[in-house]
Amino acid sequence: MAASAYPPPPQYYRLYKDYEQDPSSAPEPPPPPPIDAKYTTFNVQRKINELLPSLESHNVRQLYPDGPNIDFKKELRTLNRELQLHILELADILVERPSQYARRVEDISMIFSNLHHLLNSLRPHQARATLIHMLESQIQRRKQAIEDIKQRREEAQKLLGESLLILDGSQTN
Amino acid sequence: MDIISQLQEQLNEMSMLAVNTFGTLQRDAPPDRLSTSYPDPLNPNPNPKPEEDAKPQVQGQPGAPPAQAPGAPPQAQAQPPAPPQPPALDLAEQPKAMSHALVLAAKKFDALVAALPLSSEEDQLKRIKELQAENEVVGLELQKQLEAAELELKQVEVLFNEATDNCINLRKPD
Repeated sequence: MAASAYPPPPQYYRLYKDYEQDPSSAPEPPPPPPIDAKYTTFNVQRKINELLPSLESHNVRQLYPDGPNIDFKKELRTLNRELQLHILELADILVERPSQYARRVEDISMIFSNLHHLLNSLRPHQARATLIHMLESQIQRRKQAIEDIKQRREEAQKLLGESLLILDGSQTN
Repeated sequence: MDIISQLQEQLNEMSMLAVNTFGTLQRDAPPDRLSTSYPDPLNPNPNPKPEEDAKPQVQGQPGAPPAQAPGAPPQAQAQPPAPPQPPALDLAEQPKAMSHALVLAAKKFDALVAALPLSSEEDQLKRIKELQAENEVVGLELQKQLEAAELELKQVEVLFNEATDNCINLRKPD
């Protein structure tokens, strides 16, 4: 008899020992514990709560000033101007001193890395904005459902009242 | 597509345009004249006019003209009409068109950046808390309405069953 390869089912049956006698004695099943371990995908280990790695971890110099509140629009526009300037400089260098292209190309790729890093750090903001939108639409749907239920109840009451009147009418007749 | 992905796509587009610009210039660059003792590769017909000495300096920059390419039109005019016209036009027009596309892409990036709906993190968290509280209240109200409606439904069902029973009992057998 081979040992089972699958984990055993959760042991929530113990909560319902006295359910026959007293249905309210069974507590709510406890929520599963939050997972905080690492997981492996395609032979790469990753953490569950993965934060955006900083530019230094990729050996790229950070061009925009770091702080608690970064003005994303201003930094993105500044880096865009820098990029255009560097492309123009590369064109000039290729005309005058073609052998020194490498430094300029490295600068351009560093600017692109910074731009992409800025855009990636906007993603948590986008996630929060999506959450806000979802909560708003959920509140809207619930309010709509409340209105519908109220309306239906009123209609039902009205119909019952009318049927009562009809019955009373036919009774007196 | 959401605006951040659009911004990322625009960045990739700009890098592709830059690479293509330099690549096509490098690929389509005509050969350069090394010294006056060799024949001019652009003008193989021997021309004893002294203006030829002025031509190599003008034609010495076909590889990578500056992005705005102000020197390209006089270069096209300095060449004699013997070489075929289409490559000369391409050399003059292509950098202009590609640099125009690059500048347009940069402007589109700026426009997208301006359209970013940014707000501070504290504002967002505050709004989320408010919405969660409102959601709770609305959820409780909805639950109350639901329970009342279910109660009324049960009462109506009981009444309906009584009415149908009475109907059946009072009907005379045919």
